[in-house]
Amino acid sequence: MMLSFFDQFMSPTYLGIPLIALALSLPWILYPKPTPRWLNNRLITLQGWFINRFTQQIFQPLNLKGHKWAALFASLMLFLITLNMLGLLPYTFTPTTQLSLNMAFAVPLWLATVIIGMRNQPTHALGHLLPEGTPTLLIPILIIIETISLFIRPLALAVRLTANLTAGHLLIQLIATAAFVLLPLMTTVAILTAVLLFLLTLLEIAVAMIQAYVFVLLLSLYLQENV
Amino acid sequence: MAGHDAGTQHQFTGIAKYFNSYTITGRRNCVLATYASLAAIALFFKLKPKKKPAVTEK
Repeated sequence: MMLSFFDQFMSPTYLGIPLIALALSLPWILYPKPTPRWLNNRLITLQGWFINRFTQQIFQPLNLKGHKWAALFASLMLFLITLNMLGLLPYTFTPTTQLSLNMAFAVPLWLATVIIGMRNQPTHALGHLLPEGTPTLLIPILIIIETISLFIRPLALAVRLTANLTAGHLLIQLIATAAFVLLPLMTTVAILTAVLLFLLTLLEIAVAMIQAYVFVLLLSLYLQENV
Repeated sequence: MAGHDAGTQHQFTGIAKYFNSYTITGRRNCVLATYASLAAIALFFKLKPKKKPAVTEK
């Protein structure tokens, strides 16, 4: 059986059981919960500090009504960053490389922000579709463009995450294969390729964290417009 | 995002009072007017009777 470079992105099943369910439950299993006692240990304190700091950062520009989304955004961020980082381990499956999963996150959350905007403040929500100070002749064109950009948002959110992670994993696999194949042929080039692989892995760690942050940040911006 | 314009420094008269790109209600009305126009155009083409070619006897 010939292995292709895209086999790592196939949703794994074992005897008909989809293992993606196991992969998705890992962020829940791996994080210890805070103790009901007065003080936690150092690890949990650090974990709590990170979550608090992140939530404070995201919700600073949002008004009070948007703060209801704090638990959702904090847990979404933690979920995405954990899935992305775990996927960088060898031979693991990254659920966030599946467009279906990312669309399942992006579409309902984006739609929720739009519906909240239309229900609570329809004038502001509709008014956002025309930038302030537009010349008269450009008004209809710009409204059409802004409407298209509104509907493209969930697609862009999902595809951004999918593409970044898929491309990163693919590059890692390609460069690792190149280093491995070149080792008996051109050892010096293989060593340089291995150095490149190391640097790429560092980049992918950064990308994993940044893409999770960008996803949640953009959702918070969409919420800011509508709440 | 950018600060909302309360429209207090603009004194619009006539149609510009309702359709302008400075006040929030003006922007909303422009958006609704554009959507209504697009819907009207779509409806016009949907309800337009299709011309059938004349049937000639062979």
